[in-house]
Amino acid sequence: MIKFDKVSKIYRDDYIALQDINLEIKAGEFVSIVGQSGAGKSTILKMIYAEETPTDGQVFFDKKPLDSISRKRISEHRRSIGTVFQDFKLLPKKTAFENVAYALEVCGISKAKIFEDVPQILEIVGLGDRQDEFPHELSGGEQQRVAMARALIHKPLVIIADEPTGNLDPVSSLEIMQLLLKINKLGTTVILASHDRDIVNKAARRVVVLEKGRIICDDEKGKYKIC
Amino acid sequence: MLLTIGRTIKGGWNNFFRNGYLSVAAVSVMLLSLFIISALFIIVLTTDKILENIQDKVNVSVFFKASTSEETILRAKEDLENYSEIKTVEYITKEKALENFKKNSAGEPVIIQSLEEIGENPLLSYLVIQANDANEYDVVGKYLENASFKSDISRINYGKNKEIIDRLNNIVAEVRRIGLGLAGLFSVISLLIIFNTVRITIYTHRKEVEVMRLVGASNTYIRLPFIFEGIIYGVVSSIISMLLLFVALKTSQGFTNRLIPSVNMLSLYLSNFALIFGMQILIGAFLGTVSSWFAVRKYLKI
Repeated sequence: MIKFDKVSKIYRDDYIALQDINLEIKAGEFVSIVGQSGAGKSTILKMIYAEETPTDGQVFFDKKPLDSISRKRISEHRRSIGTVFQDFKLLPKKTAFENVAYALEVCGISKAKIFEDVPQILEIVGLGDRQDEFPHELSGGEQQRVAMARALIHKPLVIIADEPTGNLDPVSSLEIMQLLLKINKLGTTVILASHDRDIVNKAARRVVVLEKGRIICDDEKGKYKIC
Repeated sequence: MLLTIGRTIKGGWNNFFRNGYLSVAAVSVMLLSLFIISALFIIVLTTDKILENIQDKVNVSVFFKASTSEETILRAKEDLENYSEIKTVEYITKEKALENFKKNSAGEPVIIQSLEEIGENPLLSYLVIQANDANEYDVVGKYLENASFKSDISRINYGKNKEIIDRLNNIVAEVRRIGLGLAGLFSVISLLIIFNTVRITIYTHRKEVEVMRLVGASNTYIRLPFIFEGIIYGVVSSIISMLLLFVALKTSQGFTNRLIPSVNMLSLYLSNFALIFGMQILIGAFLGTVSSWFAVRKYLKI
């Protein structure tokens, strides 16, 4: 599904973000990427949704190299990936409903379909009765669930979650984690970047450990550790 | 495609209202510029009108010798009417001239009396020539000098006020030039200010642009709402500016009428309403579009 082939990323002032990364993620997998801040977790994720390009090596998505995608096609590529972030990245001037609907609107989905799908997905993430609230009227956990709903709305192949629990209390974190596991169970590939020990151990799935831009461990049934 | 346009217009509309004070700021800046540009435009229109009124008062009178037949005079009139510089030629017979003269000197019995003593009409028939432009009287003079009926001309009266009118003409032309120059200058200044204002508006939206990119919105889809927002700024500012202009002209009507009795600025504004409004909307929408276009560019990583 996703393959990193000898990927390196070097920023201008010789700062090495990633070095010689070889990583393969199969369809339906749940992978946790762990490591300290600055280890390169976010850079790996950004390369998957084509926000960053490697300095060296290639990233493949569904067997296609990402550097061959034209700029115009990038937006289409991103529609097959759902993203969830630590800071939720909701549109502040749009209600919960509109935030989720926006992801469908940009693909040119009809109004009828939007009014059918969006309430459904908001129901699934447990926000059925809070559709018309603006992000600032929702708690952190609720905002993150709106973001999850938005990530899921066009049934993506992959969900990328970059520190999704970073700003949440333990209870909300657990809820988000359970949601991610549920999504994965239904067949969606989930890639989670986190430095929350409890969360990663709770998943008890494949763990990739990054340190200073290199992969130092890759355990099929791993636990959170800094090797 | 239609769906996209509909959605992006709605997006721009929502942005405009949900942005609160930023919209107010952008609209006020634009409003100020449009107001100044339009006010200058009206001033230019007014001076044009003044000039036009004055020009109507300038003319050349060609007096014919008493022996000239009416036929010759009418032929001369026809000749003159063929010149493109000449707007009108009016034929005043000596009977009409006498009538006018008597009317003008109605309060002076001495003159009437002496006229009666002469017994016959001592006045000459003449043609009153009006040129299209005050500057063209020199050309008209040349025509008359070379005219076939030159030998029938008794004298030519080049209007007493020609020199004063020439000077006025220069002043009006100057006002016009300065007015247009200022309008141009203000357009440039407001372009820069509006550009900056819209940029600030979009800067506050940069996180949103990032989100839009993440959920797979194409660059066009991200850009269009901002452009519509810019157009709304332009249209709203023009409407307010038109209202303000109307109120300003209405309240100052008494004063301006006393100052320039020959021109009514309010009716000038009303008769040019469509032109001024259209001009404002165009300028406003243009400024909004251009500044949004460039301001979003930065955050689209194009």
